[in-house]
Amino acid sequence: MTQQSDQIVEHLFRNEYGKLVATLTGIFGPSNIQIAEDIVQDTLITAINHWGSGKIPDNPTGWLVQVAKRKALNELKRNKMMQTHHQSGLLSHPNDQEASTIFLEDEIADSQLRMIFTCCHPSLNPESQIALTLKTLCGFGVKEVASALLTTESTINKRLYRAKTSIRNSDLPFDIPQGKELHMRLETVCLTLYLLFNEGYNSTASDSVIRKELCLEAIRLCKLMVDRFEDNRQLSALLALMCFHTARFDARIDDHGAIILFEDQDRSKWNTELINLGMQYLQRSMNEKSLSAYHIEASIAAEHCMAKSFESTDWRSIHNLYRLLEKIKPNPIIGLNLAIIQSKLDGIEASLVLLEKLSENAALKHYHLLPATQGIFNMKLQKYEKAITYLQKALELEPSLAENEYIKAKILECKKEG
Amino acid sequence: MKEFLLILKGDGMNHLSPDELQNVFGQYKAWVGELGAKYLDGQRLEENGALLNNKEDDILTDGPFLESKEIIAGFFLIQAKDQEEANQIAASSPHLGLYRIEVRPIAFPKMN
Repeated sequence: MTQQSDQIVEHLFRNEYGKLVATLTGIFGPSNIQIAEDIVQDTLITAINHWGSGKIPDNPTGWLVQVAKRKALNELKRNKMMQTHHQSGLLSHPNDQEASTIFLEDEIADSQLRMIFTCCHPSLNPESQIALTLKTLCGFGVKEVASALLTTESTINKRLYRAKTSIRNSDLPFDIPQGKELHMRLETVCLTLYLLFNEGYNSTASDSVIRKELCLEAIRLCKLMVDRFEDNRQLSALLALMCFHTARFDARIDDHGAIILFEDQDRSKWNTELINLGMQYLQRSMNEKSLSAYHIEASIAAEHCMAKSFESTDWRSIHNLYRLLEKIKPNPIIGLNLAIIQSKLDGIEASLVLLEKLSENAALKHYHLLPATQGIFNMKLQKYEKAITYLQKALELEPSLAENEYIKAKILECKKEG
Repeated sequence: MKEFLLILKGDGMNHLSPDELQNVFGQYKAWVGELGAKYLDGQRLEENGALLNNKEDDILTDGPFLESKEIIAGFFLIQAKDQEEANQIAASSPHLGLYRIEVRPIAFPKMN
């Protein structure tokens, strides 16, 4: 890092923001996350001023840490003065010496882990957990969080406000849980990271860049957890799952942002490095008696990633894995997947019978992918009129923009053929 | 050549995300590079501080004392041929938009 450079690495500010906010929260306590965020924001603006008109320091990260530390210590002094004036105990850890050791490298990683446990505390609802994680740990701005989660800035502001208020009111500690509590808390962390990842992965919104970054951030945080809690098989399985899915991220969308169905994807575009990493973590996760849903989902993704082509996929194994998953985590979407895989085992018509049955399930009444699948399957059987009816039904259920385009194109195709 | 103080007002950068800030940084560095010798100095001010109204009253501490859009966020000191060129330089600053910029000539130019 001694090379003098005119530029700084991409996302340096964002990455350091997350680390510094976690570190400063260690000084000010989780009740004062806002103070930590303000100081880090100020640190970055100071960097713009100094680096912009002068030289970029040899070690930009070290520079940011030093400045943030100085600003934090000043804030502590200022608050001590205010406390003697107003007799109000604003800060929970006003100890200068403690503050200095907190900036050592190991401590920074440690602070991030504490921050993960704080953001994923079971007393916060999942929506708030995700928003707070993205804002504080991942350094996304409110606008960016909103666009990643397909909602408005004011909604995100409300979620953040609620989360911070709740942390203050319940006076959450900033620590890594121990003993029996640890296991339970790790489950919540897994679930939050899983949901965060899905937010990035599952929707094919137009702004796919930020959504991929969401996936990469989920991987980064999960990796931090796996490195610390090596024996936790669930975490390894979850990380494997994330690697497999992210490996296929770019192959899912063409240059114009249109969806490419799984069977049509160019497998050479899959990221083999991530697939190999996924296999490593999947293996690490595999020597324990208890099997989590993450294990099975990762195994299913692994089957897909290992298949040389769509045709040579081991559908029997995948079907078995889905059946297992259905037992552990009953969910009508899994039923839909099982019905679709049935088409590979016993043909499309057998699958359509299952899909028809599923359409009576109340939970799937408004799920556009069910009629969309029925439409596509009917197309394959050259029953174009029937296909159009199903596809139009899917359109009425408000699919995403890219899905909408895809379904419309299919309807046109049916009309030409029929 | 005359010297001009570009006074930046507002709290524009407080609401940018880290990625957006990094973007401003890149633009600002390029701007200073383009100005070359015309850029003399630039500093940012903290929002707190003190306000002294006259000798009799208490000193007011723990600012800010103004509405956020009136707060002086910082300044640039530049050299320009005349007011017009100074205005152009201010207009090309990446800070404009985030902040309002007052362009004021320094009185009594240096005798040299």
